[in-house]
Amino acid sequence: MVELEGPPQIIIDAKSAVPVYEQIKRAIKLAILSGRLKDGEQLTTLREMALKLMVNPNTIIKVYGQLENEGFIYSRPGAGHYVRLDPAKFIQSKHELFREVSQDYISKALQLGYSAEQILREVAVLTNIGIPTARRKDKGND
Amino acid sequence: MIEIRGLSFSYGKTKVFRNFDLSIPEGQVCLITGINGVGKSTLLRLMAGVLRPDQGEIRYDARLGADPRRKLGFVSDALSLYESMSVAEAIGFHKSVYGLSSFDDSLVRHTKISYSQKIRELSVGQRTILHLNLILSLEPEVLLVDEIIHSIDAYLRRIFLEQIVQILSKRRLTVVMVNVNFHDIEHLIERVILLKSGEITVDENIEDLKAKVKRINARNRPESLNILSRIDYSDHSEFFIYPFNEGLRGAIEGDIFDLNLTEIVSAFIGGEYA
Repeated sequence: MVELEGPPQIIIDAKSAVPVYEQIKRAIKLAILSGRLKDGEQLTTLREMALKLMVNPNTIIKVYGQLENEGFIYSRPGAGHYVRLDPAKFIQSKHELFREVSQDYISKALQLGYSAEQILREVAVLTNIGIPTARRKDKGND
Repeated sequence: MIEIRGLSFSYGKTKVFRNFDLSIPEGQVCLITGINGVGKSTLLRLMAGVLRPDQGEIRYDARLGADPRRKLGFVSDALSLYESMSVAEAIGFHKSVYGLSSFDDSLVRHTKISYSQKIRELSVGQRTILHLNLILSLEPEVLLVDEIIHSIDAYLRRIFLEQIVQILSKRRLTVVMVNVNFHDIEHLIERVILLKSGEITVDENIEDLKAKVKRINARNRPESLNILSRIDYSDHSEFFIYPFNEGLRGAIEGDIFDLNLTEIVSAFIGGEYA
């Protein structure tokens, strides 16, 4: 898998009722949890981020403030904001995010009428892992 | 802080505002919208002191001093520039009137305006940028922006908005915009005020507004919901509703969609034309 580096591309969905600060916060969190933004790396400054996204600087202040409170970043007075990775927190947050993504996938698949077993099998196929029972069945079909 | 109390104003026999109240706290970015002719620009002119109220008062933060107009920037189509002056002369004149020792031309610099050009040779967009640059050189505490920014091209508009973001990230600036077109200012706005017949019918912060206005696609009219406007198709209708709350979600038969600011304002305004 190609590892993405550098500042994340943040796209704000103007139609969404998810507040803009929340959308930006999620995008930065995802960049940190996926390793795109590395431990100790500096974030785009408040002013630049506001200009780039054309959002009210107060919104970015809120985003960085909350990320700081949640322990994802820290600030050095007058010198910007930096990524901070607390290993325990990192694993937990990553898992929460994984759960969120999975929930979305699973509920859509269930809506399409797939059973839990079928979903599991499909995941195995898509990720090229395969699970013993699924493999046996595949062979039988050949 | 701008405090409007008991304001009444008429153009001849046409009453625009009657006993109108509005308070805008310091540092807020506020949008005033509504259908054409509802009095948005009139309200802005009253705030700017260009028009005088028949009754009532408009008070500004005491911090703005005895002459608050000095700290009030009004960006409008009524540009007070001498047509025969060159850009350099206009800037020089401005400096001498306001006793400025220097002039930061950060806006004009980004345009193709030449200092030797006459004011009359500038396009509407270029004049607006020059005017805004002159206003910003006075470091206003309040910026009142009329619909004039519609008449400038996308590049100059971006320069204009970037300048506002630059200031907002450095210090407090109260911004009141009058607008009907929002795609590029949507995320700068903190509060939306909708005017109708000289009264405020909606006054919400942007996050609440987005949470409360929804489009529902359904075959039948959703019961017990306030519908702002609707669009009918052969097999279903789109219902724009306000106020929505999450508690209603389970009871609604139909798909519920979020809206952007343009769609939200259209929904309100559409209802007024219906």
